[in-house]
Amino acid sequence: MTEQHGGDAAAPDEYVEAEIQRLLAEDPSVAEQGITVVRRERGLVLYGEVESPHRREEILRRVAERFPDVPVMSDIGVIRAQAPSQVEELP
Amino acid sequence: MIRIAAVGDVHMDQDVMGRFRPALEELPEHADVLLLAGDLTRHGAESEARCVAQEFGNLGVPVITVLGNHEHQCDQVPQVVKVLEDAGITVLEGTGIVVECPGGRLGVAGVKGFGGGFAGRCASDFGEPEMKSFVHTTNESAEALGKALRGLDCDLLVALTHYSPVPDTLAGEPLEIYPFLGCYQLGQAIDSAPTALALHGHAHHGSERGTTPGGVRVRNVAHPVIKQAYSIFHLGDHLIG
Repeated sequence: MTEQHGGDAAAPDEYVEAEIQRLLAEDPSVAEQGITVVRRERGLVLYGEVESPHRREEILRRVAERFPDVPVMSDIGVIRAQAPSQVEELP
Repeated sequence: MIRIAAVGDVHMDQDVMGRFRPALEELPEHADVLLLAGDLTRHGAESEARCVAQEFGNLGVPVITVLGNHEHQCDQVPQVVKVLEDAGITVLEGTGIVVECPGGRLGVAGVKGFGGGFAGRCASDFGEPEMKSFVHTTNESAEALGKALRGLDCDLLVALTHYSPVPDTLAGEPLEIYPFLGCYQLGQAIDSAPTALALHGHAHHGSERGTTPGGVRVRNVAHPVIKQAYSIFHLGDHLIG
């Protein structure tokens, strides 16, 4: 987990969760539909995978900008892009 | 035998240029063709399509794609298609192509597809015009795929979509959003032809393997699912080569 924002604010409600989920898809600088927003007792956790560290940072920046009082933790990974080491045989 | 490489949901833009290229350089040694299952870009902008063309063009094997929902965001679909086709990438939408491979003739029919849901839990062509329009889009897309599949004369037939034809490969996604991730009509279209394999993307949290009700193997090749530059499938043991 990385990049905690916010502090003593009240735990986010369902409407905040919904707005953040939509922000991730609809904000042109994010445009991610594959990020899961999970509400926890002390804030939100963002899960999922993106194509670059820059995109991960942009997600956190945009969410923090829009909801500065919501504590947000990120567990977003960058997808590996190595050649496959095995093939699938489909007889 | 025919060797198929496939990946979807690569979401190219300037910031990720070159990420796939090292793996793609060695692709022609291991595969006869590369199939892309849509969502090639972030917003469907022409500039992003140029990134796709640079990253996935000039590979030394045929590259065939369908578009995804992201390619529709900027309303620049014709420009995106032109950039891809100028780079030698074949774009399928209710159409098919036959590729001569060393192991035989590979037929690929493709369509973006659409949502709608799966048997018993799907949208119906009933009520408001918006709802009927939604289901008409689903039906037309699946009908176009079925027609394209049945029209190909080849040794091995593959269906390529962005949306999923089965719920199996959505396992891991919230059940509530399945109707936005695929529809049973695509599966029905795939089962209407002697399809050997169906490939799709779109469901980033889904899982790799499934089958249609008719027994056709389905693979979700979305990049976040396969977690490698592309997957490779060997099919057609009965074929020479």
